[in-house]
Parts: sequence; C-alpha cells; structure tokens
Amino acid sequence: MVLHKFGEKLYSGLVSTMTHHLEVISKSIEAAQGGLFLEELNRKWADHNKALQMIRDILMYMDRTFIPSTHKTPVHELGLNLWRDNIIHSAKIQTRLQDTLLDLVLRERTGEVINRGLMRNVIKMLMDLGSSVYQDDFEKHFLEVSADFYRAESQQFIECCDCGEYLKKAERRLNEEMERVSHYLDAKSEAKITSVVEKEMVESHMQRLVHMENSGLINMLVDDKYEDLGRMYSLFRRVPNGLFIIRDVMTSHIRSTGKQLVTDPERLKDPVDFVQRLLDEKDKNDKIINLAFNNDKTFQNALNSSFEYFINLNSRSPEFISLFVDDKLRKGLKGVSEEDVEVVLDKVMMLFRYLQEKDVFEKYYKQHLAKRLLSGKTVSDDAERSLIVKLKTECGYQFTSKLEGMFTDMKTSEDTMQGFYASSFAETGDGPTLAVQVLTTGSWPTQPSATCNLPAEILGVCEKFRGYYLGTHTGRRLSWQTNMGTADLKATFGRGQKHELNVSTHQMCALMLFNNADRLSYKEIEQATEIPASDLKRCLQSMACVKGKNILRKEPMSKDIAEDDAFFVNDKFSSKFYKVKIGTVVAQRESEPENQETRQRVEEDRKPQIEAAIVRIMKSRRVLDHNNIVAEVTKQLQSRFLPSPVLIKKRIESLIEREFLERDKVDRKLYRYLA
Amino acid sequence: MRRSSTRKTASSKATSKELERIDQLFYSYANRSSNLIDPEGIEVLCSDVEVDHTDVRILMLAWKMKAEKQGYFTLEEWRRGLKALRTDTVSKLKKALPELEKEVRRPSNFVDFYSYAFRYCLTEEKQKSIDIESICELLDLVLGSQFQAQVDSFVEYLKTQNDYKVVNMDQWMGFFRFCNEISFPDLRNYDPELAWPLILDNFVEWRRAKHS
Repeated sequence: MVLHKFGEKLYSGLVSTMTHHLEVISKSIEAAQGGLFLEELNRKWADHNKALQMIRDILMYMDRTFIPSTHKTPVHELGLNLWRDNIIHSAKIQTRLQDTLLDLVLRERTGEVINRGLMRNVIKMLMDLGSSVYQDDFEKHFLEVSADFYRAESQQFIECCDCGEYLKKAERRLNEEMERVSHYLDAKSEAKITSVVEKEMVESHMQRLVHMENSGLINMLVDDKYEDLGRMYSLFRRVPNGLFIIRDVMTSHIRSTGKQLVTDPERLKDPVDFVQRLLDEKDKNDKIINLAFNNDKTFQNALNSSFEYFINLNSRSPEFISLFVDDKLRKGLKGVSEEDVEVVLDKVMMLFRYLQEKDVFEKYYKQHLAKRLLSGKTVSDDAERSLIVKLKTECGYQFTSKLEGMFTDMKTSEDTMQGFYASSFAETGDGPTLAVQVLTTGSWPTQPSATCNLPAEILGVCEKFRGYYLGTHTGRRLSWQTNMGTADLKATFGRGQKHELNVSTHQMCALMLFNNADRLSYKEIEQATEIPASDLKRCLQSMACVKGKNILRKEPMSKDIAEDDAFFVNDKFSSKFYKVKIGTVVAQRESEPENQETRQRVEEDRKPQIEAAIVRIMKSRRVLDHNNIVAEVTKQLQSRFLPSPVLIKKRIESLIEREFLERDKVDRKLYRYLA
Repeated sequence: MRRSSTRKTASSKATSKELERIDQLFYSYANRSSNLIDPEGIEVLCSDVEVDHTDVRILMLAWKMKAEKQGYFTLEEWRRGLKALRTDTVSKLKKALPELEKEVRRPSNFVDFYSYAFRYCLTEEKQKSIDIESICELLDLVLGSQFQAQVDSFVEYLKTQNDYKVVNMDQWMGFFRFCNEISFPDLRNYDPELAWPLILDNFVEWRRAKHS
C-alpha cells in the first residue's frame, strides 16, 4: 500500500483500528473485579505487546520508509502511546490503577504477602510506556503516600519505643524499601524512597532520639552498646548534620565525664589510679569509635580534642602521669612481656601528647627518674630507654638531653667504681664497700644538699674515692649528696638474730651510732649526724614506729618523733626475711606547698624560654606586629607548653625595658628589634 | 666633670652684661661649697617668684634648663634656661613663667616635656622605673590639668592594684598616648590587640569590672 501511495491511509487505518480495539480492551479491564483487575491488565498488556510486535513486523516497510519521511510516530511507539492514552489514562482506570498499586505496597508494608511478580510486570509496563508515565502515574504518588505512612509510623514508634528499638525498626524499614525497589520498582527510585524514609524516620526525630531519656546516645555510650551505636551511626550518616549531632553529643559527654574525673578530689588521692582511669576512658571511647563509628576520623579528632580539653583542666595531670610511669617502671611492669610494656608506654605517650604543659611533665619526670635510678629501683633499663626515645621523637633532642645525661652518668659511675676498686686507692679489707654515683650538676634535678656527718669508717672510703676520682679527673669538684644514697648493713640483734638491713644513708648514719652506745637521745643523734631535723625525724620514724621494721625502740612509745625521745636498739626485733628493707624513698604526689614551689620554678624557667623565642623571631623579622609575635611565639613553644598572650606581652615589655626591642614611633602595634 | 666645666665657662669670661647678671642671679641662690643651686636654693627661688616649689611651672623651668639632676641646677643649665627665656632678674623670670607654661603646653613640646618629667625623677644610677606613689603625684602634676578624669581614675587603679610596684618609661608613655587617643570614660575605642602595655589592659579591665 505504501508503494502505491496509500501510506497515509494505511497509517490512519492502523491508528483507528488499534484505538477501537483498545477501547474494547479497556472495557474488559474495567469490568475486572477487585484483585483480578491487575491480572486482567497484565494479561491484556502482554497480548497487546505480542500483537504490537506482529503488527510492527507486518508493517515494517511502512515503518522504514513512510514514517521517517512523514515524521510520524513509529508503529511500536504508536502502539504504546495508544495503550497509554486509552488504557492507562482512561478515566476509569487511571486512579484505580494507582490506588491498587499503592494499596498493594501498603499491604506488603503491613506484613501481607503480595504477588510480587504481577506487581513487577505492571510496574515494568509503566516504565515501558516512558519514564514520565512511571513517574507521574506511580512514583510521585508512591513517594507521597510513603512519606505520610512513615511520618505516622515514626510518630507512633517514637512514642512507644526506646532509642535502640526505634533505630532497629528504622533500619529494617529502610532495608525493606531497598529490597522492594530491587524486586519490582525502577532502580532509580531507590535513592528517592530511601531519602523519604531517612527524612521521616531519622531526620525528623534525630534530636529526640539522641537525647532520649534512659536510652539515648549518652546511655549507649555509657553502656558500650556497640551495635546500637553502629546502627545510629549508619542511619544518621545518611542525613545532613546527622553525624554532626552524634559527634557533638559525644564530645560534650566525654568532656563532662572527663572533667568530673579530673576534678574529683577523691581521685587526686591516688595518682596511679587517676591515670589508669584516664587510660580506661580513652580505651573505652577508642573501642566505641572503632566498633561503632567506622573509625571515623572526625570522631577521633573530637575524642582527642576532648581529652586535651579536660586533662589540662587539672594542673596536676603532668605530675600524675609521671607518677604513673614511675609506678609502672618500679613494679607494675615486673614479669610483663616486652610487647606489653611497649603498649603501656605508648598509652602513656598518648596522654602525654594531650598535655599542654609538657615542661611540667619533664620536671617531674626528671625527679622521679632520678629517684628510680639512684635507688636502683627501675625494673627494666630497656623500658626506661624506650620511653626516653619516645619522648625524644615527640619533643626533640633538647627535651631529653638531660634525661639521657642521667643514664650516661649511671653508666660512667659503674666504670668509675670498677676503676676505683682495681686501683691502689681501694685496699680490700674489712672496710665497707662503697658505690658512688657521680652525677653531673645540671643534668639531675637539684636537691637541697645537706651533707651530714658520715661515720668514720665510711668517711675513710669516701676520702679514698675522692683521691682516686680527682686524680683521674682534674679540675672537678665532688660534693656528697648524702640525702640520696642507700646502704646495706649487717646487724646482729640481741638474741643473735642476723639480718641485712637496707636503709638510706641518713638512716645508716643514725644506726652506726648504736655500735658504740645502747641509748641515744634524739638530741644526741641530731648533734652527731647533723642531719636536718625534718629528714632525721622521718628516718627515725621509719625505723622505730613502723611495725615489722622497728629495728629501733623508742621511749616513750608514740607515733611521732619528739625532741626529747630516747632510742634503743630493739633487741627483740624479728623478721622472717633475712634482708629487711627499711623505709624506702618512694616518689609520692607532692604536697600542696611543694607543688606550688615546682610550679613557680616552672614559671621562672618559662620566662627565658619565651624571651629567647621573641628575640629569635625579632632577630630574623626585625619589625613585627604584636599579634604575629604572639602567634609565632606560641607556635615555637607549643611542643613544651602553652604560653598565655599575657605572659608573652609581659616578656615583650621586659625586653623593651631592657632595650632589646622598641615600639615603633608611628604604628604602635609594631615592635622593632634593636641590635 | 661638671665642676670642671663650670670652672671653664666661668673662666671664659662672660662678655655680655646680660650673661653677667644671669650668673649673679645664679650665685645668689647657689650653695657656696658645691657651686650648685640645691634644693634649699630652689626653695628660696620659688618664694621669690611666688610659686610653690611643687608647682608644675618649676618642673617646666627645669625642662627649659634641661636640668639633669632632680633638685639641682648647674650654672650651665641655669644659663641655658634663662637665656632662652630672655630673663636676667627675678621679676623678669616671674613674668616669663606664664609664657613658659604656654610654650610647654603646645603639643609639639608637651610630649618632650612629659617624657622629660619621667627622666627627671630618675635619681639613681641605672634607675629605670619610678615607684607608684611618686608616679601618682607626677601624673597629677603634669597631666592633671589636661586629663583630670583619666589621671584620677588611673591613680585610683594604681593605688588599689598589687601587680605593679613601679612604672617604667614604656608604661609612662603608654598612658599619655592612652589619654590622647582613647575615648574616656566609655573606653569604647580601646583595643587590647593594639599592643598597649599590659598595665593599661589591666587598668581598662579593672575599670570595666568596676562599672559593670
């Protein structure tokens, strides 16, 4: 027909025939009752498709020649359009179809099993008719109805569920919707429907969920509810600001519990426990972030900044962390494997990193290390050195040079002692054995040096050593730090019990007096030894008033030492051990006045450091404004401590007074370097 | 040092009569043994020109002479001052004082006078700062008439605080700049970022705390 120029006739005939046919079909679909409606539609659609295919094949020639030249709709597409206009958009079918589909979805949501295959076919039909048909006739309404549904449902859930339960339900709903899409909807709908669920079930209720009483985020954190937290994380991350809310609440929670921890006066009594609790808190939160929050970097940063915030709220944190290390290195790490030691030290370093006042830590660490080294109490040299290496990598060479100097001194002293005993200065005999540690002034924490009167026997060896040492090292000066030493004494008590007593040098001085006397008054001991009163009282107390260690007897019996007390050797002393350790010098938390003093020393030490930084900066910049100086000084010093702007300003003014700097005559913000 | 220079100038024979009269006037107040007008001499001079010896105009006279040591005038300083004022008698000097005050109050001179006043009070070798009590008096003396409210408030602050026992040149000059630049009493244009000496930051903070 096309060849005979009847193309137009053939085409219009096709249109009218098909339209007529479809009107009939439409009637029969309309006539289908209830559930049969979809099935009828589906069947007719399949028929129509088959017919359309055949028509297209028959009319292929028209499709190829006549249609393109006259710009008419190709046969197949024409068939679809006619189906759309006559069936889907027919007044009686259009809304009925929509309602039926949505009703089926609703029924499935409420737990009924529906014919998914049928559903898929019908939806597929809508998609085949063009994406606009699918969107306008189904998707748009589907999304609206879903939003209403989930709005209502979430409202109902939130009233009766706790947070964890709610999240579980929300997650399940979300999965269901995704599954629905994969089964019978257009894949493009997934993002749309999930965003509806996210909005209605998560976003609208975020605040309420997070702050839900007894089951909200804070309770989950407290109770380590990794699963619930993980669920919250994965749901909240889908909506804008969701993670921000979680992070915010977590941060303020960590800060407030941390603050409580570090400011609780009870906690201050036991520094080791204090630090252990900090570490536990850190572990706990690390684990949460690891297990529930996907190791999210922003969460880790929030955790770190929270710790930095509250650790520095307590000015004694640096001291306590050093005490914790001291405790671990004295006894805590005994019998612990090398790897475990490293783990503990790494944790300590992590806390150290949070400290703003690293110089305060250094000060205490030096004191504690000195005591450990001199009393020979350190468990592991390797552990000690390992920590110093860590500090060095963290803070640089300067920070640890003195600490390393202390180790060097210990090693050198060993060699010196060997040299001494190998030399002619030391005559082996019945005399006491001396072990000297030669400490470099400046490397060790300064101790008020109060030399006491040593017993004659000791004094003799000491002088020999002095002779030997100064003979090999000319131009040096030796002074005895008797307050830092220890001694081992062999003692025989009244009933013949023999013991070896490990005492401090001061205690030894006092005990040696009893070789020549049975009874000594406090005054006599004080005069003979010249040990400062406070030290002497302490060392007598630990020899006469501590049960099990009471090698001396005191009259009158009391807990404290008084000026007019008298002392005797306790003949009845007994101990099941041969070696008895009397009152050791254990590092303890400082008393309030000592603490003040250390603080003051630290403050004094900071002044020249700040000034040096200012001068360094000004020397290279010549002219710089106030704010930039403050910023640069802070940057230069922050690895050691955080100087306050006021402190920096004070040092600048002091430098102006001493004419290192001057103010610019015109621009008063500027300082000039005066060389 | 000073004495030898005095002798040198004395021996170089003053030519003009004016100079002779200035010298005569000097010796009428000078202490015979030290050849200086000492505090006693200054007191006599003050009563002759009828001003109190604590009057700011005496300090201005010292500034004009560029007197170095508080309470003393050397012959050289005396000549410098009186020649510049074109005076060689007590009555002329008395008349010249109001003019001198006007001269000092001119802004270009006043900064110099203000910093001179501080240096003039440094009596000891290597002294760089002045105790609070003296500073309060000095402030009142040199700035009191111009910036009464600021001076009163600052003096009150200085007397109540415990952080500072002395004031140095930098702080002294800072306060003058403060008086000139800062709206008072509201302090609305005070910006601590502008590197004011800390003592002024503290002063402003104290004032704000007090008035809020």
